[in-house]
Amino acid sequence: MEIDRTLLLQTFAAEADEQLQVMEQGLVALELRPADAELLAAVFRAAHTFKGNAAVVGLEALALRAHVIEDALDSMRTHAAPVSSGAVSELLTTLDTLRSELRQSLAREPVDLAGTSALGPDDGAFAANRHRTLRIDAAKLDRMLSLSGEISIARGRLRAQLAAEDAHGAELRLAAALETHLEADRLHRELQEEIMQARMVPVGPMFRQYQRVVRDLALSLGKRVALSITGEDVELDTTVSDHVRDPIMHMLRNALDHGIETPERRSAAGKDPVGRLTLGARREANSIFIELSDDGAGFDTQRIAQRARQLGDERASELGEEELLRLVMEPGFSTADGVSELSGRGVGMDVVRRNIDALRGTVSIASRRGQGSTIGLRLPLTLAIIDGFFVEVAGETYVLPLESVTECIELPSDQRTHADGCGVHDFRGQALPYVRLRELFGLGGAPPRREHLAIVRHGERQAGIAIDAPLGQDQAVIKPLSKLFHGIAAVAGSTITGSGHVALILDVAAVLDLAVARAPGSRGVTDSSREVA
Amino acid sequence: MMHFENDERATSADAEVARRQYLTFFLGGEEYGVPILRVRQIIELGAITRVPAAPACVRGVINLRGGVVPVADLAIRFGQPECVPTRFTCIVVVDVALDDELTLMGLMVDSVNQTMELADGDIEPPPSFGTQAGPELLLGMGKYGAKFVLLLDIDQALGSLERPADPAPEPVAASAGEPRGADA
Repeated sequence: MEIDRTLLLQTFAAEADEQLQVMEQGLVALELRPADAELLAAVFRAAHTFKGNAAVVGLEALALRAHVIEDALDSMRTHAAPVSSGAVSELLTTLDTLRSELRQSLAREPVDLAGTSALGPDDGAFAANRHRTLRIDAAKLDRMLSLSGEISIARGRLRAQLAAEDAHGAELRLAAALETHLEADRLHRELQEEIMQARMVPVGPMFRQYQRVVRDLALSLGKRVALSITGEDVELDTTVSDHVRDPIMHMLRNALDHGIETPERRSAAGKDPVGRLTLGARREANSIFIELSDDGAGFDTQRIAQRARQLGDERASELGEEELLRLVMEPGFSTADGVSELSGRGVGMDVVRRNIDALRGTVSIASRRGQGSTIGLRLPLTLAIIDGFFVEVAGETYVLPLESVTECIELPSDQRTHADGCGVHDFRGQALPYVRLRELFGLGGAPPRREHLAIVRHGERQAGIAIDAPLGQDQAVIKPLSKLFHGIAAVAGSTITGSGHVALILDVAAVLDLAVARAPGSRGVTDSSREVA
Repeated sequence: MMHFENDERATSADAEVARRQYLTFFLGGEEYGVPILRVRQIIELGAITRVPAAPACVRGVINLRGGVVPVADLAIRFGQPECVPTRFTCIVVVDVALDDELTLMGLMVDSVNQTMELADGDIEPPPSFGTQAGPELLLGMGKYGAKFVLLLDIDQALGSLERPADPAPEPVAASAGEPRGADA
């Protein structure tokens, strides 16, 4: 009996959360399209279902509250009451009350409801540390099961082949075993792909949650803004998705606070008084791009330069437009003059960049004074596996993310000059600085007679990393490193090689930073040669 | 060659039992003990992957059944010359409280000796000097027969390692003389 109630409540909590979201998003949309009867009907249905479900699990107070919402919607449906902005605001407030009541009621239940987001912290939809669950299409699970079954069969066959009496001769037997093994390998890759696929979630639901935030923020700022969303079907790994929520939120706040002007200013500048925000996603090769564009004032590069001078960067006046925009993402840099309620608390774009860096993504800013700005995030498809370029240095194996390696060449022996491990190589007529990992990491020992140079690119920077030998490229399953090592920027993670040893995955940008910081006469860690785009 | 494995969780402490079990091992000629409930596994010394800019007493990381686990050299932690591998050298994998979270860590030891039971009465406070490990790293001195075993406070010894903040040691050619407060 008790179990039934737990199940019932869990289902109710999950569904209630969805219905609240349907209502919220529907109401925000309704404000923009008051005549949309279908939309109104959908919101009404959600309220009605919520009421019914709440009554079933015996949460009468919630059912009553939902009934109030349902009533108000019904009078809108029958045109007894207008769909005005004020009415929507009122309903949204009631919805917030309902949401917090729901949370309280569920918290009082003597059952464990972890995993239902309705129980998340008070910021509701943007709960970061809620229990992570994922709904998976049962068909996907079936495919995984059948693949793992096929793998078992292949392994059984392999075992039989290896254990068989030598009837056909060892060579034939080995050839057959190898074939079976390759078959099992292929199946395993398929299984892995299925699992990765199952982790992918469309960005649409996350994007739509921002509608309400944008609406409320715009109202409180006295601005008028329409947020349009593109690429809702683009899928993102669930972990990546969880980690971009806050950065996008930050970007939206920034755009609303500093980008979009007040309606009066916009009219005076000959623009539509309603500002446009576009949040879009698209997939390109192995990356996902998320872009937020606004048609607001754009970044004020003069003010950025001024702020940079305040912070003691005397070269600010010589910097070009693009370089100034990059400065915005430096830690502690914020162009907000006063501390506003929304952003400008000294934490601005640098927070966005740090979050995206942690996901192995990149941030770019494009801006035109008076016409608006676009902030682009490039994110990897998944955080669990990377394509790696495996290299050997002093007996250790290191993995460079393949995307940052452009090629690998042999380092001519006459080019090995400096004792500190750095040097410059004439790379097709270009002076290419390189750093030797052996010295950089203090691994000791003498470099081999033949060394190689992995040419890496990060943003605009190109450099060489001198290694003993390339070992080839392969997929690397990322293993987290102990917290003990979290301060080491050059090491992004670790993986386990085919031989069972641990290989460190390097952060190319941080390795180059380290080389710059070590260089004699370097200006120190805050050297602005760190690229972002 | 796995000699030993412990599947008991550290929560089975029975309040009445005043006798506790310890695993002892030799390190730099002294015998140390750690509470056996903290010991997860003892494995033979294999390949250790070095981690650049790691704390000095961390020799690197190993693959422990698909997980990546740091290995510490307590000899270095105690300010002694580093542990030189012999055929008896082992890695004792223990649970260490790091930021209030138990995390696996390997201890490189010269050799594993025995498991012993000590009553609370057999344990004396650590001497204020005279041991390789400072008194702040010890829980006490366990007495058995005519001998003493140093009971290690592994959380203190390994949980409080200084984290690498900036992997870059100071550039030597500091002609500009910029003082940067990195404690490398």
